[in-house]
Formats: sequence, C-alpha cells, structure tokens
Amino acid sequence: MSSYYDIDDIMMEDEFVSVVFQVAANGVGLLDPGAETNCVEQGSKVELPFWLSHELQLRQAVSVNIPACFNQKTRKEIQADAACVDLRNRCPYFYELGCKIAPLVGDRTIGSFLLYAFTGRYKEVLSKAHSAAIAVAPKFLTLFTKEETHLYEAARSSMAAFKKWRLGGPRFERASILGRKRKPND
Amino acid sequence: MYGRRACQLVKELSDRDAGQLTAFNRDLFDQVIKECSAHHLELQSLMRIIQEGGLDIQTTRNADHFGAAIHHLALIRNKRCLMAYVYNRTGTIQSLRWKVGPVLPQEIQEKLNYSEEEYFKNYSAALESYMSELELDLTVDMVPPKDPYIQVRVLDDIGDVLLSDQSPNLARHSMHFLKRTDAEQFISQGLMEELTG
Repeated sequence: MSSYYDIDDIMMEDEFVSVVFQVAANGVGLLDPGAETNCVEQGSKVELPFWLSHELQLRQAVSVNIPACFNQKTRKEIQADAACVDLRNRCPYFYELGCKIAPLVGDRTIGSFLLYAFTGRYKEVLSKAHSAAIAVAPKFLTLFTKEETHLYEAARSSMAAFKKWRLGGPRFERASILGRKRKPND
Repeated sequence: MYGRRACQLVKELSDRDAGQLTAFNRDLFDQVIKECSAHHLELQSLMRIIQEGGLDIQTTRNADHFGAAIHHLALIRNKRCLMAYVYNRTGTIQSLRWKVGPVLPQEIQEKLNYSEEEYFKNYSAALESYMSELELDLTVDMVPPKDPYIQVRVLDDIGDVLLSDQSPNLARHSMHFLKRTDAEQFISQGLMEELTG
C-alpha cells in the first residue's frame, strides 16, 4: 500500500481513463468538453483522471472502460517482443495503473498480462543497466515506464557502489544536495 | 481539468534529481489554494440547492449530489497534492541539516520559503540540544577512520580558522594535513576535497 504522500502514487492517479456517466451531475460542466450547460448528462463519455474515476466508480456514478494501453493491439506487440514496446508513451505508470484498474473493470486477464510484460522486459532492463556506457543517456531509456526507470537507476547505482568499494576512493565528498554545478568563480 | 495545477506542483518534485531542492513555487501553490476555495464555494452552493429543495442531504442521490461529490473529491485531491509537496520538501530540508550543517549556503537558503526556514532552524536546534545532551556529535562519518588525520586540498578562500589543534591559513589551492573531524564539514560544503593515494 502506497503512502498518502507518495509522489509516484499521486502522479499515477493523474492518468486519464475513459468513463461513461451512469448518472447526471450538476455544476461540473468543465469535465465534459461537449457539454452545453454547466452539467454532465447521463450516458456521456468523458476522460477523467484516475483519482476521480475510481471514487465515482465506488459510488456507482460512472462505469470505467479499459484504458487503451491494455487493449489487444498492445498485448500483441508485447507478445511479439516485450522489450521493444514503447510503454512510456502509452502510459508511464503502466504497471501501477494496471494493478489498480484491474479490479475496477473486472478483467481477469490484465494481471497475467502485466506479469508477462514485466518478466519479459525485466531481463532487458537489468542487462542494459550493467552493460550500457556511463554518462550518455541511452536511447532505450525513453521506452521504460517509471517503475522500470527506478529499477534501472537502482541497478546502476549498486554497480557504481560496488566499483567504488572495490577500487576505493575518498570517503568524504561534497554533499550531493548542493548540486553538481560548480561555483561561477571556479 | 480539476486537480491539474496541483498535479503540476507534485510533478515538479518528481522531475528534479533525487534529493535536490527546487525553489518553493509560491505562485502555483497559491493558485491551487485558490482552486480549493472555488471548489468549496461550488460545494456549498450545491448543498444549499439540495436543502432548499427540501431533500435529505444524507440520502439524496440526484444530479446535485454527484456534482457536489465531484467538487468534494477534487478538493481532497488538491489537499493531498499540497500536503505531499510540503511533506516531501521537509524530508529534503531535514537531510540538509545532516549533510551540510547548521548554516545553509546562500543558494540553498533562497530556495526555502519563510516557514521552511523556521522549520530548518527548529529542527537544527532540536538536533543540537539532543546531541549536547548526549555529548556526542551524531553528524560525523559513521565509519571509524584508519587515521585521525587526512590530506586535503582547499578549493575556495576560507582564510584563517581556528581548528581543534591548529589554526592554519586556508588559502585557495593550499594543501593541509587536518584532523578528519575538522575537515569533514568543509568537504561536505564543497570548500575542500580529500586527497587520496
């Protein structure tokens, strides 16, 4: 369970999902760009952020559709070659959103699909993290979701820590919090 | 869309490098608070409509109720974003005390807002009073040194300072043989570097 203050959890909940209103709602015309009055009609299809859709679903005010990143097309691409699919472009919080949306839409295949995608890509993330040249931002980083980027960074930093331990180096360093930027008079 | 600005605020935290501090975004922060007040007004007016219609506010499930619920949810969401913004910054500010010391460099000081400065001062005072009770400096390096002295090079003009066992003139580019505990704070502030090998 993620914490109330968790940044990634908050960002994840801002992903948009498409919902259909089962009831009408007054005073919230902003939600539906096609609305003529300041209210949302019953049966209108709108894109809402996850935090709102989730709560409204619990109140049985909307029904949530499966987001596009879990459709058949993506599934076929993942089956073909999991590591080459640009998941960040589809949804930077692919796994987290998948876990939260599966119980809402009642689709039992999402769970196994997520696991399949993750195991297929995990090996690739790790081997790239250990073999890629340092300093250059590699091109494949743009394909990773947020979770995979965290994994990649973790692998890189543990590798760097291992090398530092083996070769030795200064114990004390300038506090990283001050930033890498040097002072202008240097 | 509701909660858009609040999310931008949180995104600022997620975009920075881990452990770095950006300037407090007062402008966006105030805009989100204004948005909260607007939601509050909408919520009240919708509730008034329900009450004026002679309906029970607990059990009514009409269009007004769901409109009010959406405004309420948006309000709670904005609150969560604001809280997360402040909370995650305080974590960084606490670690500043441990890594940099009781006095912050000017460029960091500028990034804090007034209440964060106060928080830093109070946190620092609390830590210092605890350490003086223990008679132990908890902020020094946790790994026992092999040698109490280390070789350092000075990166900036520090001038004459009084250290525990000597009072060297720390001119820029000069090299010194100092006690580790004395050198540590200068190194973490980026004024010296340790020489090895």
